[in-house]
Amino acid sequence: MVDQTRITTTTTEEKKVAAEPKKQPYSYHLDRIPLAEDRAEKFLESFAAVLRHTNYKPVLDIYARSMAHCGRCATACPVYQTTEDPRDIPCHRSQQIVDIYKRYFTLGGWLRAKILGDDPLTNQKVDEIAESLYRCTACRRCSIECPMGLDHGLITHFGRYVLSEAGIDPKGLVVSVREQLEGETRNTSKVPLLALKDTLEFLEEDFESMKGAKIRFPLDEEGAEYVFFTPVSDYLMEAETLMGIAAVLTAGGVSWTIGTHVYDAINYGLFYNDWVLQRVVDQTLEETRRLKGRRILIGECGHASRVSQFFVPSFNRGEEIPVINIMELTYDLLKAGKIGLDPGVVTEKVTYHDPCNIARSGWIIDQPRAILRSFVKDFVEMTPNGRENYCCGGGGGTVSLDEIHKFRMEIGGRTKMEQIRATGAEIVVAPCANCKKQLRELMNYHKLPVQVVGLHDLILRAIRMPKSSSD
Amino acid sequence: MEELLALLKGPLLTFVVVILVLGLIRQVVLSVWVLIEATRRAGDRNIPYARVLRNIAIWVFPVTRLHRSLPVFSYASFFFHLGVISSAVFLREHIDLFGPLGLSWPSIPRPYVDWLALLAFVGLTILLGYRIYVRQSRAVSGFADYVILVLLIVTVGMGYLAGQSWNVIPYDVTMVFHIAAGLAILVLIPFTKLAHCALYPLVRLSSEIGWHFTQEGGHDVVKTLYGPEGRKI
Repeated sequence: MVDQTRITTTTTEEKKVAAEPKKQPYSYHLDRIPLAEDRAEKFLESFAAVLRHTNYKPVLDIYARSMAHCGRCATACPVYQTTEDPRDIPCHRSQQIVDIYKRYFTLGGWLRAKILGDDPLTNQKVDEIAESLYRCTACRRCSIECPMGLDHGLITHFGRYVLSEAGIDPKGLVVSVREQLEGETRNTSKVPLLALKDTLEFLEEDFESMKGAKIRFPLDEEGAEYVFFTPVSDYLMEAETLMGIAAVLTAGGVSWTIGTHVYDAINYGLFYNDWVLQRVVDQTLEETRRLKGRRILIGECGHASRVSQFFVPSFNRGEEIPVINIMELTYDLLKAGKIGLDPGVVTEKVTYHDPCNIARSGWIIDQPRAILRSFVKDFVEMTPNGRENYCCGGGGGTVSLDEIHKFRMEIGGRTKMEQIRATGAEIVVAPCANCKKQLRELMNYHKLPVQVVGLHDLILRAIRMPKSSSD
Repeated sequence: MEELLALLKGPLLTFVVVILVLGLIRQVVLSVWVLIEATRRAGDRNIPYARVLRNIAIWVFPVTRLHRSLPVFSYASFFFHLGVISSAVFLREHIDLFGPLGLSWPSIPRPYVDWLALLAFVGLTILLGYRIYVRQSRAVSGFADYVILVLLIVTVGMGYLAGQSWNVIPYDVTMVFHIAAGLAILVLIPFTKLAHCALYPLVRLSSEIGWHFTQEGGHDVVKTLYGPEGRKI
């Protein structure tokens, strides 16, 4: 149950922080057009184009005729629970978009405007909408509490897309995507292939000296069953996660490979633009086909997993390519007895954070828990968890926006920090690159002595490598 | 007063029912049409209908969900819906209005309908209280939200009073308020959020279909806005 008392514990300082973005509009989401004078017009042009070519119109149409404004969604939103700011109420946020739809794209709205002389959309209103949409972490927790079945996350997604095509998009995301789709390295962190190869060689050697066994990171092996994509930041910062994954795949005898043309699973399109979303998915499919892989294997990453699982079928024009997350595969291998985990190695108190993008739909909740319970002695759950989990506070791409670091620490991530503190855990397992970054910053900011790791970091400690890999 | 009552129960009722039925048919047909069209345009047409249906069923009888968020509001809302629908549909006097059309269905005995109406009235009063006094509810409430609640309170309250021997308001006056407010509600249904009485299952379905993107939508949007050369990121 939601802790209502938290609302009253918000400090003046936090409310001040909550209001900060208002003072500096576009401080964190403008890349190309500096405060265009005609942004309201551009917004409406973009709105019309998106409605014309996509499937959002029926949603807006039905929502416009049904929204009951009960406010129940507000109790599910960790941002609103902390700020009590009306612009953070999910249905209020959606209502702003629905109002514009009704005013400019329905006959009734047009008539009403003619008769009553409704004020036209202003630049100031566009600014307010942009701020409101980027204060949302797109965790979609509100959607599970809406009796009507409204998905405010979908409206936030739509609104950000319209803003983006009107030239209002977060520079933190755009710069990365530009390199991924138009740059030389074709990845969001600009990691050159040479550096990737060096890293992987180093990890193979490091693993051997650590475990006395060999692992491989196979590159460009045509015909492998799985083509592996993980957030490219893992290659820079998550050595243990990668070694753990390679150990599982080696021990389990899995046929897999990493492509050298495209090796980044990150798809920021999910956070702000469907055109970007589709182009990154296309790139992933292209690489899988080049390598004649049969399946796409996604590493520890919530949004990349959701994008591949739910949008590869939408954008794939060729033969069907199934998508699987590494935790599903590891669970299958464990169940089949193909990997063994030592239950005596991890003795610390461990808890598990559900990344919203894989848990909210109920897709990946039990598998990581079954893996953890098989070898972690002291496992404790957060409350609530699973489908009803709270966002880390860095969802919806906000973790990549350094300009709102304080907002993420004091507003977006506050509920999660309190949840983790309440467990008394020494280790939080967060199988998602974005969640890990946010949670590490959060633990550091609030001075909680909690280590944030990936699931395969712990597996790395506990895995028993088969004798064949020692040769 | 008798003439006014006759007008309300006669031509006005017929007019309102016609508007209601035609309006709701239009709403449902248009909504189903746009959803069929959206599904046809989707790159992935594999819509999880079973999951959507299961969630609709869960929220029609949300007994396991009500206590989780805003419990007082949620129970009040549930019992209001239960009370208002069952008392409106199964009261003998209401059923008899459809007699001339040759329609009839079983009724609920008056004492039980009275309890259901009372349940609806209490629920409505709580909902109004929330709209006025609870910050998050007030923040998302518009003029229409209050008008609809007041009309419902008058309809249900006067309907309940009309059947009570202790009612001090003259019967005809009570009935005029009951029927007039009730007709206002019925005529507003197709034009306001009350349309959810027919669109309810389609809302959840649209939320699902909305995530099923068109295959070339992104490229087409860019072409429309920036021409065939497209744009750089």
